[in-house]
Amino acid sequence: MTLPRAVVRGATFLAPLAALFVLWPILIRVFDVNPRVFPDLPAVALAGLETLRDGTLVAHIGASLGRVVVGTVLAILVSVPLGVAMGVSPVVSSLLTPLFRFFSVLAGIAWIPIATLWFGYGFGAITFVIFNAVFFIVAYNTLLGVSTIPMPVRNAAASLGAGRWAMLTEVLLPGALPNIVTGIRTGLGFAWRGLIAAEMIATNVGLGYMLFVARDFYRTEVIVLGMIVIGALWLLIDRLLLAPLERATVERWGMVRAG
Amino acid sequence: MTPLQRAWALYVRATARFPAVRSIVPFVPVVALWAIVAYAGVFPRAFFPAPGDVVRSFGDLIYKGILPEYLEDSVVRLAVGAACGMALGIPLGLAVGLSRRAHAALWPPLLFFAAIGDIAWLPILLIWFGFGLTTMTFVIVYTVLFPVVLNTALGVRSVPTELHRAALSLGASRPRVVWEVVLPGALPNIMTGLRNGLGYGWRALIAAEIIVGTSGIGFLMFDARRAGSVVEIVVGMIVLGALWYVVDGWILAPIERATGQRWGLVTR
Repeated sequence: MTLPRAVVRGATFLAPLAALFVLWPILIRVFDVNPRVFPDLPAVALAGLETLRDGTLVAHIGASLGRVVVGTVLAILVSVPLGVAMGVSPVVSSLLTPLFRFFSVLAGIAWIPIATLWFGYGFGAITFVIFNAVFFIVAYNTLLGVSTIPMPVRNAAASLGAGRWAMLTEVLLPGALPNIVTGIRTGLGFAWRGLIAAEMIATNVGLGYMLFVARDFYRTEVIVLGMIVIGALWLLIDRLLLAPLERATVERWGMVRAG
Repeated sequence: MTPLQRAWALYVRATARFPAVRSIVPFVPVVALWAIVAYAGVFPRAFFPAPGDVVRSFGDLIYKGILPEYLEDSVVRLAVGAACGMALGIPLGLAVGLSRRAHAALWPPLLFFAAIGDIAWLPILLIWFGFGLTTMTFVIVYTVLFPVVLNTALGVRSVPTELHRAALSLGASRPRVVWEVVLPGALPNIMTGLRNGLGYGWRALIAAEIIVGTSGIGFLMFDARRAGSVVEIVVGMIVLGALWYVVDGWILAPIERATGQRWGLVTR
C-alpha cells in the first residue's frame, strides 16, 4: 500500500511541528513555568476556542487580511503598469532606478509615523503602509524586469510586425513576469511585518492589536495564540500561494531572460 | 544632435567616470518637484514641509547632538544583532544543511518560526524583558537569524554530492570538507541570507524603536509624530533611507556580487 506522495510530504513536514506541540506542555510542567511568563498549551487552546466563539478572533483576522488584500491589490494595479511604462525606455529606467531603490529601501514600517499623521489612526494609515511596502518593491522589480529583456528580442518582435499592444502583452509583460512575482513575494513579506507593527501602533482591530492589548493584561495565552495564527497564516500565504506562483512563472517565462 | 541628446551624452560620460553621480542626479528633479508643491501651498505646510525646512531641522538636530546619538544607537543595535544572528545562524544552517535527519526535524519549525516574524514577538518580549535594550537586541537577532539559517542550509544543500565525495576520496577529513568545500560553496547563499536578514532587521529595528521607544531613529520619528512635527519625521525617513541605501547598495550588494562571482561557480 502506497500513500500519495503529497500526503507523505505533508506528514513529514507536519510531524516535527506536532512534536513541538507535544513537547510544549511537558516542558511547562517540568520547569514549572509561571503562566505569566509562558502559557500552557490547554490555556492557549482555551483562549482560541473562547475568541472563536465570541467572534473576536475572526474579526481580527478578517480586519488584518482585508487590509493586506486591499493594500496589495491596489499597489499591484498601480505599480505594474507604471513599472512597465518606466522600463520601456533605457534612458528613463536608468534615471529612475536609483529613485525607486531609495524608496523601496524605505518602504513599509518607516512610513508608519507620517502615515498616522496624514490619515489618522485606523484603516487608512495601515492600508497606506501596506500599499507603500508593496508598491515600491513591485514597481522597482517590474522596472528591472522590463529593462533586462534583451533588446534583440524586442527588435525581433517589432520587425515581425508586433504593434504596441502585442509588444506589451507578448513580450514586455511575460518577460518581466518572473521579476514581478518575485517583487510581489518580497513586498508582501515586508507588508505583512509592516501590518503587524502598524496594527500595534495605530488601530483598534487586527492581529497586531490583539497581541498588543493582551500584553497590557499579561494574557500570555492570547499573545501566543496570536503569534501562532500570524505564523500559520503567513506560512499558508507564502508556501501555498506565493512560492508556487513564483516557481510556475519562473519555469514558464523565466527563459526569456536567459535567452 | 539636439541639446537634449547632448545633455544625455554628457550625463552618460559623467556617470561612467563617477558612478556615484548616477545615484544622486535622479533625486534632483524629485526634490525640485517637492519644493514646488510645498511652496505652492497645495498641502498645509504643517503636514507637508518644504525641503528647506527639512534641511534646517536636520542641521538643528545635528547641532543639538540628538541625531548623531540616536543614529549611533540604531546602528550599534543593528550591528550587534547582525553579528549575533550570523554567529548563531551560520553554524545552525550548516548543521541543518549537512545532516538529512536534522533537516527533516528542524526545517518545518524553522519555517514556522521565520513566519511568525520578528514584530509579533514584541508583546511577549516586553513582558519578559521589559522596555529596554534586551528586547530590541532579541528582535534583531531573531530577524537576522532566520534568513541566514534558511539560506545557509539551502546553500549547503546546493553543493553537489560529487564534490563531497571527490574531496573525501582525495583524503580530506570531514571538518576539512566542511571548511574547504561546503562553506565556500554555500557562501553566495549565506551572503544573500545576510542581506535579506539585514533588510528585515533594519525594518524590525525601526518598529521596535517606535514601540519600545527609548532612543534611536525610529524613536526620533515617533516622538516627532507625538509632537506633531512632520519635519522631523521626514528628516528621520531621509536619514534611514540614505543610510540603508548606502549600506545595501555600496557594501552588501558588491560583497554579494563578489562572492557570487568567486564561489558561485560551485553550484553549476
